[in-house]
Amino acid sequence: MTSNLEGTEPPVIAEVRDLRVHFGSKRGRVHAVDGVGFQIRDGEMLGLVGETGCGKSVTGRAFLNLIPQPPAIIAGGEVLFRPRGGAACPACAGSGCHACGQTGGETLDLLKLPQDRMRQIRGARIAMIFQDPGKALNPTLTIGVQMAEVFLQHKSDELLQDAGISADDRNLAANALRRIAHQEDRWLDRRLKRFPPLRQAAGRIQQALDARVAAALAETQIANPLRVMRAYPHELSGGMRQRVMIAQALACDPDLIIADEPTTALDVTIQARILELIKTLQERHRTAVLYISHDLSLVRKVCDRVAVMYAGRVAEVGTVSDVFSNPRHPYTQGLLAAVPRAGARRGHLASIPGSVPELVNPTPGCRFADRCSQVMPACTQLDPVLGSVGEGHSVACFLEHPPHAGAAKIEKALTE
Amino acid sequence: MMQPPKTDSTVAMKAGDTLLSVRNLNKHFPIKDGILQKVVGQVRAVDGVSFDIRRGETVGLVGESGCGKTTLSQCVAGLTDPTSGEILFNTGQGSQLGDGDRIDKLPKDRYRTFRRNVQMVFQDNFASLNPRQLVVDIIGRPLKVYREASGSDLTERVVALLEQVGLGRQHLYRYPHQFSGGQRQRISIARALALDPELIILDEPTSALDVSVQAQILNLLGDLQKERQLAYLFVTHDLGVVRHMADRMITMYLGKVVEQGPTETVFQQPAHPYTEALLAAKPDLADDPDKPFALLEGTIPDPARPPLGCRFHTRCPRVTPSCGWEIDDIVRFLEADESLFQSLQGVERRSARDADLIFKDPASAVALQEAMKSSSVPEAMRAATERLTVEGSRLRATFSEVDEVQLTERGPEHFAACKLDHLSR
Amino acid sequence: MAVTDLPTPPKRETAFGVRMRRWRDLLKTLLSNPTTFIGFLIIFLLLAMAIFAPFLAPPNVPDPYQMPRDWGATRMPPGTPGFPLGTTNQGGDVLYGVIWGSRTSLQLSVIVVSVTVVIGIAIGSIAGLVGGWIDETLMRIVDVFLSIPELIFALAVAAILGPSFTNIILSLCIVFWVKYARIMRAQIILIRQADYVQAARVIGDTKLSIFFKDMLPNASTPIAVQATLDMGNIVLVGATLSFIGLAESGIAEWGVLVSEGQAGIASGRWWASTFPGLMIFLWALAFNLVGDGLRDALDPRTEDKR
Repeated sequence: MTSNLEGTEPPVIAEVRDLRVHFGSKRGRVHAVDGVGFQIRDGEMLGLVGETGCGKSVTGRAFLNLIPQPPAIIAGGEVLFRPRGGAACPACAGSGCHACGQTGGETLDLLKLPQDRMRQIRGARIAMIFQDPGKALNPTLTIGVQMAEVFLQHKSDELLQDAGISADDRNLAANALRRIAHQEDRWLDRRLKRFPPLRQAAGRIQQALDARVAAALAETQIANPLRVMRAYPHELSGGMRQRVMIAQALACDPDLIIADEPTTALDVTIQARILELIKTLQERHRTAVLYISHDLSLVRKVCDRVAVMYAGRVAEVGTVSDVFSNPRHPYTQGLLAAVPRAGARRGHLASIPGSVPELVNPTPGCRFADRCSQVMPACTQLDPVLGSVGEGHSVACFLEHPPHAGAAKIEKALTE
Repeated sequence: MMQPPKTDSTVAMKAGDTLLSVRNLNKHFPIKDGILQKVVGQVRAVDGVSFDIRRGETVGLVGESGCGKTTLSQCVAGLTDPTSGEILFNTGQGSQLGDGDRIDKLPKDRYRTFRRNVQMVFQDNFASLNPRQLVVDIIGRPLKVYREASGSDLTERVVALLEQVGLGRQHLYRYPHQFSGGQRQRISIARALALDPELIILDEPTSALDVSVQAQILNLLGDLQKERQLAYLFVTHDLGVVRHMADRMITMYLGKVVEQGPTETVFQQPAHPYTEALLAAKPDLADDPDKPFALLEGTIPDPARPPLGCRFHTRCPRVTPSCGWEIDDIVRFLEADESLFQSLQGVERRSARDADLIFKDPASAVALQEAMKSSSVPEAMRAATERLTVEGSRLRATFSEVDEVQLTERGPEHFAACKLDHLSR
Repeated sequence: MAVTDLPTPPKRETAFGVRMRRWRDLLKTLLSNPTTFIGFLIIFLLLAMAIFAPFLAPPNVPDPYQMPRDWGATRMPPGTPGFPLGTTNQGGDVLYGVIWGSRTSLQLSVIVVSVTVVIGIAIGSIAGLVGGWIDETLMRIVDVFLSIPELIFALAVAAILGPSFTNIILSLCIVFWVKYARIMRAQIILIRQADYVQAARVIGDTKLSIFFKDMLPNASTPIAVQATLDMGNIVLVGATLSFIGLAESGIAEWGVLVSEGQAGIASGRWWASTFPGLMIFLWALAFNLVGDGLRDALDPRTEDKR
């Protein structure tokens, strides 16, 4: 789906550059994310796969600035994001240049954005679907109220318009309503709301809100949105709750959705339905999705491109068909071979020996070196970097890109 | 593309006699309510399940949450007493299993034989090991219980077991929390092996593990089976693992067996639409990536009120008029329609298949009648409707009586509980 | 984080050695917390005082737990030769009371805590394991006990039994077991479901062995924390009871001394109440500090990180 008809690639709307997130622990610094870099193109579904503790969730959370600090320390790197229809790029004034990836839009570094700016982006431009919808929803509020929150947060002006209050109205009532819609209502506004003429207008806002919530829920194929709106999270099944989460994420038509293991807590058949739903909606809205998962077969099923992470680094990136049919990194090869499949003899799965290394104060070198069957002397001394092995297919491995003497010095200088 | 794999235990399977037999097993949990804890209903977690496990074979037990696979495995392990039905275990008193082999009626010494020959490995590798005990105590415990070893002899036996599961002497004096998930699962396996059992119940042994570690554990289990002629009851929701590990598989849905048969046969020709949907939902890495994989709508019904007839008929994409349509199906349909559901005031049941639905106003009754004749309900449901009459604001609906769906033979050792003789593709 | 492969441990590692190391590690964690360290220090000093009481203050004959009376030296202020902390209205040496009072307090808290912990564990385990109406009955009794404040309840029991130090111990034993029963029952119900208990059943181990090997050790943490806290609380409640006059007068006990001294506070004779009062405060504080530290150190969420 990445192959564009014109032959040009869609613009990069988000990019992680050399992200380093460390965690302080008693035994030293855990390098949980250690120089991760990848790009997300507009409207694509990028799979981020890896095993427990490889840093994929932390990377996903970096997009929303949801990494708790402390214990985490953001030790470097950038998470860039170019919202659609944002301000013009300061370097080229919207004509498209290298700095803005030819989009002409401004580029934001999400890690350096002030809190209030981040709040505007969170939920509206970048949304998140969590693994456990039971925990992500507030158990004391009805679904309708929680969904309404998103609209009140980001779509107040449109709500006011729907309710027939134009932005030019500056009278007392309109101002009060504006405050209500912006969730800045004062004590007096809440009292006033009960009396005409505010009551009617406030009712219209509520109606507009309900209509939007119902429409958002209906889009995720919830059969009876009104009933679901009145329900509390515990009254819904896991699959239904995840649909609500998806509806919430899509409510403001975001440019990018971070889906962190969205179906892991669900049963197999329901998982398939939800994934198909995410895929359909993603294609319909042309939203980019970062799909974080440990399940290779599902990533292969729904994603366009895939980034394979190992021990805090990206080992391989490429289109799904490239990576799955022609894996170049020994870790990717091992991972794919380890999945039980038809025809494999029992007791003869190709397993990767050993286990994931501890990332406390690591020394330079390929993180996979001690488990790799094709390890070379360079692997334990130098950090391999991602290098192209084909169109849109990159691998961080010395088998593909042998280190040369110059690189060794540079690497050494960098790490010291 | 799909050659049936030649598993090493195929030979053993033919030679093996029945080790354990489950016959018409039921396990119901009462639902209690109110301050007096009155029993208001039953959850039929396991409902009339029968199957055999032969020496040296792996039986895969698959299904989604609430299907009863965990309860069933606990009954087999002797951890829970079934409500009715029997579990027979071959304690070496002849090859034919009879009433005298019921595990709840075994004399004490033969019960001990059963107890030590049926072991279990749990899903949660952390919770299944006592956090206050050292590995040597955990693995040595079964040997102590049966007074098989003590002192340095015990330690040596434990070391031998550790080495069999890929650990070593250096791990003897460590606590469980000092290991990784995969290593903890190895410790669990070593403990299960200590008494040299004939059957190990594996309750989702790898679902908490990463793929590469899962492969290590599956290989270990495969090797141990070969060496020791072990039988496995492999409980899982992961069909890829079942296909790799199991000689025969059993699919359960809401407490009932819907299909059982040799794994490769079931994978290539599933005879029940539920198995078919499960297979599609867990794509193999070798499958065509564009194959549809979400075949099922809706959620798993409440096991306290399972649907009549075939329990899968509420979600089945291949449903027929004889699958057991009932009044609850109309209620389920109404739940999706806000206005009609709001005007529904009550349901007067004559039976599960015959009832009056009482609405606030006649118009709603007529609207439902219309809806039930239209394409908004499945065609099979329309065909199963015998009567659909409106009297004022009451709608009487009656569905035709159908026989219970039974497991029928579909091929050698292959059984399925479906009204359809075969699934056309 | 799980340790994948520790460096090969020193040769001849034994189960005993590893277990000891676990205790040593626990102690190390405890002592690395400054407030807990202070608590330990105070407890250490108080214990030393109790142990070496006969050397610090020559025992009174015939009963060392009776205050020596010197009717010729009543109401002496601190610093008086022979009476460094002064004397009471009845000529009792305050220093003697402070020193020998630590023995009384130690007796009180050790006896009461050990008796109540045993009763509480027994009753809580029975309730949690047997369940049904036995559980219901026992827990209703516990509820009744808990609905009355500890102090008032102990006071009522001690009043009925009559004033004596032994009766104070007895009344505290009757009152303080309830919390342990509660904690134990909750722990048992939780652990009963644990996979490792199921695993032990599959092995075929006996119920008694499962109780002692799996349930009791894993239920012990909150009990230990509560017991440590109670070591302090019990002295506090016991002192209150003897202050009110439920112990024999003349006994070397801090509460009694505070009570004897309080009449003189208004006329400026602060010492007879202050020094034993300070001891009660230190005792309760020290055990509470250690109890809190123990709770933090044994918290399962932090235990693995050690």
